[in-house]
Amino acid sequence: MMQGPTNQNQQLRSGLVLYPSQQQAIEKILTELARQISSQFILLADVSGQIISTRGGEQNNIDLIGLGALVVSDLAASHEIARLTRQYQADQMVFREGQSIHTLTCEAGYHLALMVQISTDTPLGWARMIIRKIARDLGDIANTPPPDEDQFLGSSSEFNVQEDGLADLFNDALDDLWLE
Amino acid sequence: MFINWQLRELNLKIVYYGPALSGKTTNLEQIYTRVDPQRRGELISLKTYEDRTLYFDFLQLELGKISGLTPKIHLYTVPGQIYYEASRRLVLRGADGVVFVADSGADRLKYNLESWQNMKTHLAELNMPLATLPLVVQLNKRDLPNAMLTTSLQNLLHLNGTTVFEAIAMQGNGVFDTLKAIINKVVGKVQQELA
Repeated sequence: MMQGPTNQNQQLRSGLVLYPSQQQAIEKILTELARQISSQFILLADVSGQIISTRGGEQNNIDLIGLGALVVSDLAASHEIARLTRQYQADQMVFREGQSIHTLTCEAGYHLALMVQISTDTPLGWARMIIRKIARDLGDIANTPPPDEDQFLGSSSEFNVQEDGLADLFNDALDDLWLE
Repeated sequence: MFINWQLRELNLKIVYYGPALSGKTTNLEQIYTRVDPQRRGELISLKTYEDRTLYFDFLQLELGKISGLTPKIHLYTVPGQIYYEASRRLVLRGADGVVFVADSGADRLKYNLESWQNMKTHLAELNMPLATLPLVVQLNKRDLPNAMLTTSLQNLLHLNGTTVFEAIAMQGNGVFDTLKAIINKVVGKVQQELA
């Protein structure tokens, strides 16, 4: 179901922390989605384009890094078109019709973008309904931190965000990256 | 910023902003060329027939593990031409840091000022105030015969307190320093936000 217009600045913003229990829940949902609509390919990315998970597509040797960036940018562009034409609504879906494969892309909460490719044999209305529901479920998972989140970012965590030398560690890693 | 604890990844988005032809794409091309190919993705460019950036350029860098997390840096450019306003706005969304690439040519001052103002407007609309967003300014094309004095450019753009680098991006000069500086600032901000 479409929701009313919302503050567009709340849409597709970054700032997500995803914990293992959330990732596992996401994997379960995507597997179920792939089974329900016999999808050809599913891609879930955060709004910066970073891939969170995929289903299918292995045989096509896809450049997932590039694809993630393009999918979220395509969705962001559609949002911008909707904003400029004053048609913006939450939960909008972008539909690209193909000869053998349809591509549907939608936001999944504030932080995620979901792209699903289905065969043109799949009933479209049914697929849209399922994808929309799954997108909402994925968004809910991402927006609900698990009770054990403190163990990941606290001072006892392996990744100590308060570590004084963190910037130096990044500098060293960047130096390693650069070929003179 | 996006942390995926299951995959143990820290993802950061950095946007190169600036007027047309200031060297934003050149920065990414130099980074692409000079970074270990094992640690970067392909450079994706959506260009017009005239070979100008239409929508954005994109490059992902992957650093070695830091405190158990693998940092992945997503670098984007925006199209510089005035008429690609909407593209610039949407590429800025979700940015963790911005590099403003200014053209040092005296004849390009007007475009630098317009682009700077335009960036500030977009950031304000996106609820990303410049005062809190990690920002580095790169004064590019320092080898131009009509290059303005850096102090003049800094004064005209009101860059007091902003980290500024001189660069000749075509030769790779200043490109890495700029990248390191913005990543440092972004990491500092991430520490603040997560602490």
